[in-house]
Amino acid sequence: MSRPLNRRLFMRQGALAAVTIAAGGGLISACGSGEPVAAPSAGASSGTRRAGGTLRAAFVGGGASETLDFFNGPTPLDLVRARAWHGGLGDLDPGAADGVRYGVLQGIDVSQDLGTYTLHLRPGVRFTDGSTLTSADVLYSLTTLASASKLPVFRMAAANFDLAKAKADGDLKVVLPAIRPIADGRMILCQGNFLVVKEGTKQFSIGMPSCGPFKLTAFTAGQGAAFTRNDDYYGPAPRLDGLELRSIADSDARAGALTSGEVDFVHDLAPVTAHTLSGNSAIDVVPSKSPYLVGLSFRMNMNVKPFDDQRVREAFKLAADREAMVRTVFYGNATVGNDLPALGFPDYAEGLSQRAHDPDRARALLKEAGAEGMEVVLTTGPETPGMVEVATLYVEDLKKIGVKATLKELPPGQLFADFASYARLPLAASYQVPVPALSTYQITTAGGTPAAFGWKRPDVDALVSEARAQSDPAEAKKTGGEAQKKLWEGGNTVVPVFKPYVNAQVKGLTGIQDDLFEQFPGFSRAALP
Amino acid sequence: MSWAVFVGRRLALAAASLAVLSGVVFAATAVLPGDAVSAVAGVNASAEDRARVRASLGLDRPVVERYAAWASHALRGDLGTGFVGNRPVAQVLADRLPNSVILAGLTLVVAAPAAVLLGLWSGLRAGGAADRLVTTSAQVAAGVPEFVSAALLITVLSVRLGLLPRVSLVPLGGGPFDAPRTLVLPVLTLTGVVTATATRLIRASVADVVASPYVEAARLNGVRGPRLALRHVLPNAAGPAVQALMLAAGALVGGAVVVETVFDYPGIGRELEQAVAARDIPMVQGIAMASAAMMLLILLLGDVCGRSLDPMRGERR
Amino acid sequence: MTANLEARVRPGGPRARPGRRPPLLAAAGTLVVVAIALAGPLIAPYGPAERLGLPFQGPGGRHPLGTDFLGRDVLSRVLWGGRTLVLTAIGATVVATVVGMAAGVLAGLASRRTGEVVSRLVDMLTVLPALLLILVLAAGFPGSDLAVVAAVALATAPFSVRVLGAATRRIATTGYAEAALARGDGRWAVLLHDVLPNIAGPALADAALRLVAALHLTATAGFLGLGRGAPTANWGRMVSENLSGASLSAAPFLAPTLLLVLLSVCVGLLADRFAGIASGGRR
Repeated sequence: MSRPLNRRLFMRQGALAAVTIAAGGGLISACGSGEPVAAPSAGASSGTRRAGGTLRAAFVGGGASETLDFFNGPTPLDLVRARAWHGGLGDLDPGAADGVRYGVLQGIDVSQDLGTYTLHLRPGVRFTDGSTLTSADVLYSLTTLASASKLPVFRMAAANFDLAKAKADGDLKVVLPAIRPIADGRMILCQGNFLVVKEGTKQFSIGMPSCGPFKLTAFTAGQGAAFTRNDDYYGPAPRLDGLELRSIADSDARAGALTSGEVDFVHDLAPVTAHTLSGNSAIDVVPSKSPYLVGLSFRMNMNVKPFDDQRVREAFKLAADREAMVRTVFYGNATVGNDLPALGFPDYAEGLSQRAHDPDRARALLKEAGAEGMEVVLTTGPETPGMVEVATLYVEDLKKIGVKATLKELPPGQLFADFASYARLPLAASYQVPVPALSTYQITTAGGTPAAFGWKRPDVDALVSEARAQSDPAEAKKTGGEAQKKLWEGGNTVVPVFKPYVNAQVKGLTGIQDDLFEQFPGFSRAALP
Repeated sequence: MSWAVFVGRRLALAAASLAVLSGVVFAATAVLPGDAVSAVAGVNASAEDRARVRASLGLDRPVVERYAAWASHALRGDLGTGFVGNRPVAQVLADRLPNSVILAGLTLVVAAPAAVLLGLWSGLRAGGAADRLVTTSAQVAAGVPEFVSAALLITVLSVRLGLLPRVSLVPLGGGPFDAPRTLVLPVLTLTGVVTATATRLIRASVADVVASPYVEAARLNGVRGPRLALRHVLPNAAGPAVQALMLAAGALVGGAVVVETVFDYPGIGRELEQAVAARDIPMVQGIAMASAAMMLLILLLGDVCGRSLDPMRGERR
Repeated sequence: MTANLEARVRPGGPRARPGRRPPLLAAAGTLVVVAIALAGPLIAPYGPAERLGLPFQGPGGRHPLGTDFLGRDVLSRVLWGGRTLVLTAIGATVVATVVGMAAGVLAGLASRRTGEVVSRLVDMLTVLPALLLILVLAAGFPGSDLAVVAAVALATAPFSVRVLGAATRRIATTGYAEAALARGDGRWAVLLHDVLPNIAGPALADAALRLVAALHLTATAGFLGLGRGAPTANWGRMVSENLSGASLSAAPFLAPTLLLVLLSVCVGLLADRFAGIASGGRR
């Protein structure tokens, strides 16, 4: 253990001198871009915090199939790596004026009729090859690369904007016509996913021009990537000298690497692993905060009897002992859900009352519906930590209201492997990554897609469209709330728990949350102890 | 039979085996329910997205046609591109196979002397108390699944004593030898099982040789002790012993899934597990063929060694 | 996994080790663990899936072995968790032995050329890592214990074919089978009266060896999360489920581990013994 530790110390100390110079330079370039950039608050206030050093972070990763082409890399690490490397349009920021924090943009103007979005580029953003970012680069990244991606997250833009008609207006403006009027287009474009590369990029490789906080220096798929700071970064100058992102698949192994000093930060631990770490005085367990929570859910298939009966669906929602799930599976480190996705997002309907745990009422409802003693199989799989555990407890809850429920657990990666048959399951587990409520509803659920499990409600679909086309935020919130109330009352999804991404880090490491988009942590504002 | 004919025939047979196996594995991964679309398109993909992905992966074509395309490329040395992440299969193999071979090789380096010594020692005393001790211990060691021994080694050597790293984090751009400490736990875990199995096999063949009239005659002539062991028993038992050791090591290339998973060792077995789970047919195919080829090569080497070590130099059975 | 290798190197099987006491301890150990596995569900105080308290409570009180990662009774889960494992391993062994017997005897009795072809074909399968077969089949039929049985059988049967083919050939070429044929006995009669009784011993010994391999593979499949999923109790699975919390409470991890190891060691020792008897009878 001593050798790597010494080397690490050495590297951090040696870096000190370089940092002070670089930090100054970064500040100047940030000011030069014409925007008053506040240094990260913690950095300014705490004089004890030492900048520099190389932060080593471990993620689940995707084995040898990891790729630098983040438009086609499905694993979280592919995006984390890209976020450290490339500039982005922006991230969701509930505290900011537009609800987003802009990256390579200065702002997004929305036309009066909500039909046209104008992206204003931050002037003077430079790629590592010295060239300046222009509207052509943004346009290319959005319309050519993102829209050709197989990953649905990049399809969000195409689903909301008419990309074929998008055009550059001068060097610093991109005009995007919306397919139908929407008010939440900023949240679509600035979800943290949309990163920009240079126009004409075909190959993603180490030397390619980039404009993110770090420059990639090494990459081995399935093992990791190494970065050095990009002194030319448009945002606040990164405090780290370097960054190493490693892939470690197993949760215990990630925790072990942290406790034995092989890494400084680990992402997405299993609840038990996090719990065993909580007694370790050298480690901070850091759960992600709302809205960066994963909803664990169960979908009832309304095409299958008796789930076409509203009473049965309500009984299944009342049966869930949400508190017990939070306590048992997550050791208290999770939030009770209210059968709606997107908890914590601005368009989430937080005004609705919390669904109670009421097994008696549930039993009565089942009796009323003539579904006492019904048999059902809940299908799940270990797709995210806690998913199987919550399903296991839910089946026991269902047994308590007289349902002959059994659990079927599929091996890793199998649950969604045959989607057609997944969508035919009577009762299926699922999970929701943190995305805004209404735009996601429109893409995954509206119009009775197979993923909607038999939910066909044109009235709710219309309300959602109306809410998204509403320019007055208060009105939008009200209409969106109405739509979600109907979903809450009659919907076919039980969302008992929202769990955080539980990360852990060495004591004194700071600034990771400041980078927003916590499910794919960024390190541009991180500082080692 | 001359060496050329012998080796030539074995090579032809190995090539035929690979051809048949490639068909079997392809059929199994392609025919079984489910496909790679979800791994590629993600959880919340729409039906159109899925159809688009399916077409772009070529999964909408008939199985036979896909196999023919794969085979004709493979014959030209192109193993295709993985569905998930679009990496060339050959590149993944080049990255990972050497690591697995290192793991297996080191295990062999540790296990072979131990197994030969123990096997020889107990085989010469077949039926005695020492023999019983060795065979019983070997049976116990062989009976402990890798995941159990790995967990115990981690608990003691890594968590409690903090002597060795819990994870096999290989330095970026380097190989396992750049961080030799990370190799210790995986190798130790595998050594237990391999030593035990090989000891049993060597002991058995030594015991056979000891009971043979040839050694009986040597004994009657007054040859004893190390001389008997080294000059008379070992040469006759060496063929099967070498084969046993090589097979045990060969089974580790692609078969060490558990150890590679537990220690996060960047070998081929872990890739195999992930590729199968994602239904990444080209990747599964490539890894299966590589580990099968490895095993065939080892069998061939084993046969060659067996033939050259066999004092009778004839049919092995 | 490596238990299969023996068949590769020595299709003749291990030879007798004269002068050994019957392995009473191993037999007793096997019986106890198998009894726990098969009868356990009858005496388990709770169901395998009932949540009864907080996770990883230490042993004591209502839960002699404490609770597991979901607050379930460990003792009950241990008692429930052996059945699948033992039955899967035995099922796979039976299938492998029957297949091995049929194919082996046919290959052994057929002309030398046909025998060669069969054994070459069978050898091909043995080149694939056993876990590949299991992973692929389990991915095709997720959550199915039968898929694990089939995969384990597929991984072990080729070795049975090899061993029993060799045994049959040895008998077929001995004097008395040839003499019987020369006497004018039909092939089937020779098969029934001369070959089968003589390979029963080797077949049993081989089955025991296959069982060792099957137990190993089945436990590993459970550890990797293949076969029937949660909330099923399965010793291999329980090891991986509770491993993360071993520092909170060791019993949920240790109990299934010890039973697994005990069973596989005892069966291994018995298999050795059987092999000794079988080859002893052959001489």
